[in-house]
Amino acid sequence: MSADVNPLTVVTRRSRRRKRVGVLMEALATAAAILAIVVLAIVVISVARKGLPAINADFFTKNPAPVFQTGGGIKNAIVGTLIMTGMATLISVPVGVLIAIFNTEFAPPRVAEGMRIALNVLAGVPTIVIGIFIFGLLVVGHGQSAIAASLGLSIVMVPLIARATEEVLLLVPATLREGGMALGATRARTVITVILPTAVGGIVTATIVAVARGAGETAPLLFTSSIFANTVVTDVHQAMASIPLTIFVASAAPSVADQQTAWAAALVLMAGVLIMGVIGRALSLRTRRQIERAR
Amino acid sequence: MQRFRRSALLVFAAGTVVLAAACGSGGGSTTTVTAGNKNTASSKVLTGAGSTLVYPLVSQWEPDYATKAGVTITYGAIGSGGGIDQITARAVDFGASDAPLSADQATACKGCLQIPWALGATVVTYNVKGVPNNLHLTGPVVADMYLGNITSWNDPKIKALNPGVSLPSTKVTPIYRSDGSGDSFVFSSYLSAVSPDFKSKVGASTQPPFSTGTGAAKNSGVAASVQSTDGAIGYVAISYIAADGLNQALIQNAAGKYVTPSVDGIKAAADAVTTAQPDGSIPLVNPPASAAAAYPLSTYTYAIVPKSSPKAAELKAFLTYAITDGQAFGPDLGFPPLPSAVVSSDKTEIASIS
Amino acid sequence: MSTRAETDLALPRRRTRPHFGDLALRAIAGAAALTVLIVLILIAYKVTQQAWDAISTFGLGFLTSSEWNAVTNQYGARDLIWGTAVTSFFALLFAVPISIAIGLFLSELAPRRLRGPVGALVELLAAIPSVVLGLWGILVMGPFLEAHVEPFLIDHFGWIPLFSGTPSNVGLLPACLVLTIMIVPIVSSICRELFDSVPSELKAGSLALGSTRWEMMRGVAIPQVSGGIVAAVILGLARAMGEAIAVSLTIGGTARTGWSLFGSADTLASRIANQYQGAATALQTSSIAYLATILLVLSLGANLTAALIVRRIRRRMGAR
Repeated sequence: MSADVNPLTVVTRRSRRRKRVGVLMEALATAAAILAIVVLAIVVISVARKGLPAINADFFTKNPAPVFQTGGGIKNAIVGTLIMTGMATLISVPVGVLIAIFNTEFAPPRVAEGMRIALNVLAGVPTIVIGIFIFGLLVVGHGQSAIAASLGLSIVMVPLIARATEEVLLLVPATLREGGMALGATRARTVITVILPTAVGGIVTATIVAVARGAGETAPLLFTSSIFANTVVTDVHQAMASIPLTIFVASAAPSVADQQTAWAAALVLMAGVLIMGVIGRALSLRTRRQIERAR
Repeated sequence: MQRFRRSALLVFAAGTVVLAAACGSGGGSTTTVTAGNKNTASSKVLTGAGSTLVYPLVSQWEPDYATKAGVTITYGAIGSGGGIDQITARAVDFGASDAPLSADQATACKGCLQIPWALGATVVTYNVKGVPNNLHLTGPVVADMYLGNITSWNDPKIKALNPGVSLPSTKVTPIYRSDGSGDSFVFSSYLSAVSPDFKSKVGASTQPPFSTGTGAAKNSGVAASVQSTDGAIGYVAISYIAADGLNQALIQNAAGKYVTPSVDGIKAAADAVTTAQPDGSIPLVNPPASAAAAYPLSTYTYAIVPKSSPKAAELKAFLTYAITDGQAFGPDLGFPPLPSAVVSSDKTEIASIS
Repeated sequence: MSTRAETDLALPRRRTRPHFGDLALRAIAGAAALTVLIVLILIAYKVTQQAWDAISTFGLGFLTSSEWNAVTNQYGARDLIWGTAVTSFFALLFAVPISIAIGLFLSELAPRRLRGPVGALVELLAAIPSVVLGLWGILVMGPFLEAHVEPFLIDHFGWIPLFSGTPSNVGLLPACLVLTIMIVPIVSSICRELFDSVPSELKAGSLALGSTRWEMMRGVAIPQVSGGIVAAVILGLARAMGEAIAVSLTIGGTARTGWSLFGSADTLASRIANQYQGAATALQTSSIAYLATILLVLSLGANLTAALIVRRIRRRMGAR
């Protein structure tokens, strides 16, 4: 009798099929996530396996050997990357933080929105075009230099730092701002002595993420610091070696020794970047929790 | 309203000041690392760029010259085309090219000298499973391979030249330089000299418009590409053959002999062609039949330097080193020493740099 | 959400004259913001200036010519635009479904404790430098494709123009796959945020009406954020079009217009990376700068479109 049948529990062919489709789709979604992780693992393990054999003390402490000779390391590239990324950070952190402060403290809403769009557009400019830009601006007639390369890197890094810093500044609760102003402090003073210290964790995170990005960029270096000496250079008016360019050049080489250098340098770069990424993420979570607690 | 206008003015003022400071200071930024005054610090550095053919030799000069003269040579092996580009833009102190400057390039370079500072060669290489080293080939046959007229390795034309060798039916994949290359210039000049078909369809230049095959950048790229492709034929500078263990093809010269690319073969070519062109270059490609032992794809490689340069003294010292003491590193890499006549004419040229 | 710093205090207008510190900070911060605009304008100006020779010589015909001949000094971007279009299209074709799927997984399906770690791992994919991906692509993935995947595709599907040709360790296919790996983390993290932002009442309501989780996602979540997904896809497209290093290492460098996914090709960004410094003539250098101008226009267009879509979405959400 129809009274005995609960319509809600009737399993029709249609509902069975819907359920099967649902399970299939969920399985596909899970598979997609697994695929991404598997690819990450494949790449990381490949680089580690091929790069580890060439990693030894020499690799970090020696300069490259003359062409066709074995031995030697990438000391000049490591120093060059550290210096150029360091200079780029010194330029982009103040500029990025100031832009974020402008957007959150001083800009009328429409101007701030326009700035945000401009930052996103700048972030979207292909890095190879940035390389051509800096080349035309600073290298033509003057020669390559680490300064030109650092400026190229900072154009890449500023939007990242500015966007992330703005997010953190917006998280800072109104009570802190109002408290500062209620005590008679000026806007500037409130920002510098109250808001920035609260947001400093987020700024550090943004910097770490930007540095990881800047250290791995190759295209801005391609026209600004690609003719470099095989020795360590510390003069910023000269071109310097860099790890990404070393990989780029060595990857096309036929000799096994060169390819080994490429893998080992890739391992060093990838390890550095991934570790910075992990630290950045952990810091970001911690900062968010701190600010939430302060609310 | 008053406050807004005032602060807006301040913003623009500050912006202008910042910009002016940035543009004005240019190279004067100080950092915690050596902020060398550009003139004093960099007189200890000579920057050059160009030919990958001469790069192995230059990389031997770098540490030796640093010890002898205390000057760091920074050389970027970006290809002869790039070297000409960079020195024309005065982005480097000297350029290096296996191809002499064309008339347009010479005008654009505004008073550049081209000084032959090493003797080398381009070698035809190949990688075919089952085919041994030292295959015999002729210019017209190689031209046909690059024109797409010969498509497999067991073509009758190749078989005729190598009667004792069993050739598989593997497809021919020509590999060429995708960047501006002196080796491309030597290779295409030779093929244009011996194959009218090649001359009309492709011609001689640093970036010949090959219609078939795969491009690779720099000598190292071509070597890698040949090594990883079965059936490949390519052309590389002589040093890369021994260093990367590549096969070499013996090309028949005008005298009908199959000469091994080597120091002796190149020297024979240099001895046979001693008159320089009006622009100072000495083309060694396809030497006459009188030079029986000459390797037909030999070439001088040139240092391109501006006649007047702020680093004239360092340039002169380095170039003099290159054509005298530096030549000692040559033979191991396949570069015979420069003939003495060339060395003396070079010295005259070098003396005119100011 | 307020886009200005939170403070509702009505400050008395009759303050003492503006504090110098305030003005100074406002000036410096404003100057920093101004530099962004100046740099953008300078980039457009400088790149176009370097390209001017080629622009005035070839005009718009540059876009339809497939010549690239240093001897006759004739250059054209058609093959490169084609290569860029094909690699970007297929990269998106692979990446978008995967990214949406990962976004759904992280937002709805994954156990709560796994969401953080799995999300972090997917984002780590984005952290891999492009030169390292390119190195892996040419030395590991390329040979693998050549030996195992391409012969299979040619044997079984060779009648499709896409899969015609001979196996090669370089070409459009390795480049597309590398680009896919680069785009997926970007698009999927945006998708995840979008799905997280769907009001839970909507999701719960759909489930309460008896839909399966998939039907809820398909019928409610995705349509709700479809504008945002479009913006994310456009951002992924911009990334794919602009990538120079990883593509130049895996694509081979011989420009062509052809349907086969196998064998050497070239894109705008990759050709700039390969040839800019070694150009044989000044006109060639200028032509390569012209390529950069085209790339700049394309990426500006894509980024502005995405930004405008996002702005429209925000306006609509704010209006609720």
